[in-house]
Amino acid sequence: MRSKSAPWVLMAPFLLLFLFTMVVPIIIAIVQSFLTVRRSGLVGEDGAVSHFAGLENYLAALTNQNFTESIARMLLFGVVQVTVMIVASTILALLLESASAKWPGLFRAAYFLPYGIPGVIATILWSFLYVPGLSPIVDVLGWVGIDVDFLGPSIVLWSIANIVTWTYTGYNMLIIIAQLKAIPGDIYEAARIDGAGPLRVVTSIQLPLIRPALMLTIIFSIIGTLQLFAEPQVLSTMSSGINSEYTPNLSAYAYAFQYNDLGMASAEAVIIALAAFILSAAALGISNRLGRKS
Amino acid sequence: MRPLVPRRTALAGGAATAAALAAGLAGCAPTGAGKVNAEAVIPPSDGPVTLTYWAWLKDLQKVADEFNKTQDRITVEAVWIPGGNAGGYAKILSAVAAGGGPDIAQVELRSVPEFALAGALTDLTRYGFAKDEKAFDPGAFAQIKVGDSLWAVPQDTGPGAMFYNKEVLEEELGLTPPKTWDEFRSVAEEVKKAGKTLMTLDPGDGSVLPLWAMQKGSVWFEPKDDTWVLNMADDPTMEMADYWDGVFSDELVSTGYGPFSTPWYAAAGDGKVLSYVGGSWGDALTETVPGGKGKWAVADMPRWEDGYASGGLGGSSAAVLSTSEHPAEALEFLRWMCTDPAGIDAMIENSGIGWSPAADYIGKKRQQPSEFFSGQNYNEEVILPMAEGQSLDWTWAPLMQRIIDRLGDGMLEVVGGGSTFTKMLPQAQEDIAEIMRKIGLKVEIAK
Repeated sequence: MRSKSAPWVLMAPFLLLFLFTMVVPIIIAIVQSFLTVRRSGLVGEDGAVSHFAGLENYLAALTNQNFTESIARMLLFGVVQVTVMIVASTILALLLESASAKWPGLFRAAYFLPYGIPGVIATILWSFLYVPGLSPIVDVLGWVGIDVDFLGPSIVLWSIANIVTWTYTGYNMLIIIAQLKAIPGDIYEAARIDGAGPLRVVTSIQLPLIRPALMLTIIFSIIGTLQLFAEPQVLSTMSSGINSEYTPNLSAYAYAFQYNDLGMASAEAVIIALAAFILSAAALGISNRLGRKS
Repeated sequence: MRPLVPRRTALAGGAATAAALAAGLAGCAPTGAGKVNAEAVIPPSDGPVTLTYWAWLKDLQKVADEFNKTQDRITVEAVWIPGGNAGGYAKILSAVAAGGGPDIAQVELRSVPEFALAGALTDLTRYGFAKDEKAFDPGAFAQIKVGDSLWAVPQDTGPGAMFYNKEVLEEELGLTPPKTWDEFRSVAEEVKKAGKTLMTLDPGDGSVLPLWAMQKGSVWFEPKDDTWVLNMADDPTMEMADYWDGVFSDELVSTGYGPFSTPWYAAAGDGKVLSYVGGSWGDALTETVPGGKGKWAVADMPRWEDGYASGGLGGSSAAVLSTSEHPAEALEFLRWMCTDPAGIDAMIENSGIGWSPAADYIGKKRQQPSEFFSGQNYNEEVILPMAEGQSLDWTWAPLMQRIIDRLGDGMLEVVGGGSTFTKMLPQAQEDIAEIMRKIGLKVEIAK
């Protein structure tokens, strides 16, 4: 009997926290996404009734043009930014793990460092390089005749992508390096005996063997992209290109915290989660198919 | 990672209990409060009472301490919360929905009807607040009224005025601050020719539009019996919209960054952005323009031939929440804080509030000339007449935050060249009517 209850007692602190901070909020969000509040009177003084709305909130979310545009915007952002970032991480990891790398430890730490800076702070730092009048980059480009507004409606998305790439490239690089270090030395030895050059080692040994790590970083990045929040939120006061529902999460945030419409906010949150799930599953599926072919 | 079977069943069991719990919570959450204004009035307490007050004003406890010293029946405890849209409102509304929360909460003037709509406020007419009307600045009092109900106690306001760089505008460029909006246009043209900008606007901030509209004499949201009548495309509004369309298409104001943002301060410090037209609380923010001391001054808000001298932008109220068990005592404290000279001075001194909500008292500190604003006694000379010249007919609608965001998104379209104010406002009005109808309100669009 004692041996049966012991694991539960030991796990209780975790399970309780997990239950009340993860499971319950998720269930409340799902329940709330099916509810809507109707009020009557000039300012609701004749009462408010919360009732089951079926898929009304979901329909409202999916027909909310700002929200659907924000999802499309994040897809575009993801296709470009995640690709650039993962390629950059992989190249950095391969370079740092190559035999001729100098001070790999120092560079590993240096590339990883931006990840240690919170997104809000990073965005404020970068904004000083973006804002016309403050930014030395804008000044220098101005001298050579290039007028660029990093915060203008057409460019600001890529200014955000730049901040995100700067923050997470080193982090993803580290995951890939960990996988590279796990490749047994005798495989390299065998390759060398077979006469493989450095490039051949990369394409035939390292890249295929770090595929699991690449998949992990890609899936994390897809989820991260859909949840983009802090960077556009901070930049919105300085940019004419960021509206109140610029990313899916900003939209859900606006409905929850500014419009007091929890049903709609919950529905949007569930849609974001489903989208992340579907995209991640798609990425996994593609990867598995490619894996089987090779 | 392969989860072990027992753990999976454990989670499923947990999830089932949680689901039951969540269903219970969600079922009562939005309607937990809100009936209080139909129930009996809560009589004043016999014993001592402790009130809590959630606000994002700084050092509010020092203000409360002043009051606590004056008597020994009521003790007020101030608790700092994040600003309304930064999470403060969500915190207040969640607390009320759960049946708890403070007695008093800070609510922006324009958000008061939204809080009433959420069932979070006590109707203060039931506690005799109508008798206090004379003690308040009429411009402040008008903003907490919806129909016949009084939903909060005004705590500070933001009558519109123009803060400008006198050194550059007058001495360097030889111009004078514009008295009318037509003059504003020609001054802006001159300033633009000199390679500077008269004013900048945050392109995504729709809150300037109600300010401009109420100064022009429009009443966008009119409560008639149980129906909201929208006038967001009436003649005064369209005239105002047409004017700003002209200003925007000629690029006479800059829309790259908003006032008091980091780039704004850099540009204002360099003498490249010359003014701010908006709420009187802009004075404290203008005073932090680097190197601006003695160079800036304050002028009337430019005006139209018709309409009013000014309008309101920003400002907040102290609202008695519907879950408060001591509304009578809360009102007693707020009466002191918002109309007694000692309360006003304490709020100006400690919390740096906007314009005083009291009828005849602007605050001791504000009766003297300002060193920063060129030695001008601007509070008495400029802001006071601006405050007195506001429209008293304006009423804030419920869902104001959503309305302002819709207007802000519309403004982004205008700035981006995809629309004009004259086109955008009627569209925004349709959308807003639809949003209000969706939650059960009765809405009509005025013909």
